[in-house]
Amino acid sequence: MEIQGYTLPDELYYEENHYWVKEEGDLLVMGMDDFAQKMAGEIVFVQLPEEGKELTAGKKFAKIESGKWLGKVFAPVNGELAAVNEELETNPGLINSDCYGKGWIYKIKPSDKGEVANLIHGKEAVEKWVLAEIEKYAKE
Amino acid sequence: MEAKYDFEKKYREQILQCSRCGFCQSVCPVYGATLRPALNARGKMLLLKEVMDGKIELGKELIDSLFQCTTCASCANNCPSGVNVPEIIKQVRKDMVNIGSCHPAFAGMNEVLQKATNIYAEDELPDFDRKRDQKAAYVYFIGCVGAYREDEATEGALDLLDRLSVDYTLISEVCCSGVLEDVGYSLNPKLASQNLERIFATGAKTVITGCPYCYRTFTQRQEYDELRKRGITVLHISQFLKDLDFGVTTDKKVTYHDPCDLGRHCGIYEEPRATIRKIAPDFVEMQHHHADSLCCGAGGGVRGAYAKNSLAMARRRLKEAEDTGAEILLTECNSCVHNLANAKLRKQNIKIYNTTAFINELMHRKAKDK
Repeated sequence: MEIQGYTLPDELYYEENHYWVKEEGDLLVMGMDDFAQKMAGEIVFVQLPEEGKELTAGKKFAKIESGKWLGKVFAPVNGELAAVNEELETNPGLINSDCYGKGWIYKIKPSDKGEVANLIHGKEAVEKWVLAEIEKYAKE
Repeated sequence: MEAKYDFEKKYREQILQCSRCGFCQSVCPVYGATLRPALNARGKMLLLKEVMDGKIELGKELIDSLFQCTTCASCANNCPSGVNVPEIIKQVRKDMVNIGSCHPAFAGMNEVLQKATNIYAEDELPDFDRKRDQKAAYVYFIGCVGAYREDEATEGALDLLDRLSVDYTLISEVCCSGVLEDVGYSLNPKLASQNLERIFATGAKTVITGCPYCYRTFTQRQEYDELRKRGITVLHISQFLKDLDFGVTTDKKVTYHDPCDLGRHCGIYEEPRATIRKIAPDFVEMQHHHADSLCCGAGGGVRGAYAKNSLAMARRRLKEAEDTGAEILLTECNSCVHNLANAKLRKQNIKIYNTTAFINELMHRKAKDK
């Protein structure tokens, strides 16, 4: 769906710091959503921790940087890091050019895939959340 | 004909002194990463000569050449004609700001530092669970990169000071704002006053900083003269540590990257090495070291404005470090740590630390093994 110029595909799950999650077999794929990549501007660095790193839902596990902005990446679910997108090491701009495709960032092996239900999902919920976010950032 | 710009008034003779020999090209980090002759010091001096001759205008078309310089001073260090390129570049940038031809990243940085307390416009200064604005013998001044970007490096430095039982306090520090001088603007005296007041309030007689740029600003800028007048000594942490004994060594091969702001700009080369030799018997120099050190690519605002090229410069430096066979790359600057660590690829095994954080890790391991 399009919300005031931001694309947020309906089928994805969203973590409140603007990372999307989708199921892919036993794994979850994660990336930055269109709202965040537009707000951040050109992404210049993505921290890609070693596979196997333990993730705790809601805890920071990596950093992403654009010119003068530093974003923390929080684990959307409990689990472990299964894979990272190594292309981002030399081409982090993929997050800007294709945030839901080639710009995917991490794959996670969740302890319990059911935890995705805790994320923001469904047209109505996503729309309400994004509109509130647009208003919040417009004030800042 | 009367000079139109201040750079010409101040540096005309120097610009004409450039003999176009190209010695600067082989040491310029921007040229090394881009292979564009217009971007090295010789190219920049030729452009400025054309501006002085009225052949081209000083304007937006020259932003990517004249603002893309880390002010590392490697060119000046190698110039047989004695041209002080970084000083010329800094003046040209001021002239460009005056005519409204500034790189937007630097205009943004100046705007931020008129309102915020740090270059990243972050709201809250982290306290690292340490006391702040207390009476103490020493003030530890972190600097923006250490406070907001390299928190682990700063934790390491502070943990080390704690292990060494140093009586220090942090302060509610604000950006020293020296960087504005490099990017076409002027140091913000309000920020300088705030830092001075907070330092004086602690009663400390010594300020220690882990940031070579803050060290440079505190010791060289007249806005911080009051420190000298009041007999307050400013030390880079490498100077503070050089005579101490840590009781730890590593058997790993270690190399050292000279930060430009500490080395070429402040002449501090041997203090970091004195400490490293104590803790790392297997210490090796890179191909370029001391005054010939290669820049990591972060300085002069280049990391903020030209991130891709900045990281490419860091990758060249990392390659040199790897070529030594070292497993550990030490440096003494949070900006260098930040840029080098960001540039490191996952397949590269070399580990990058500030010397303080590395010593702290060795001491932590020794304490744990006991």
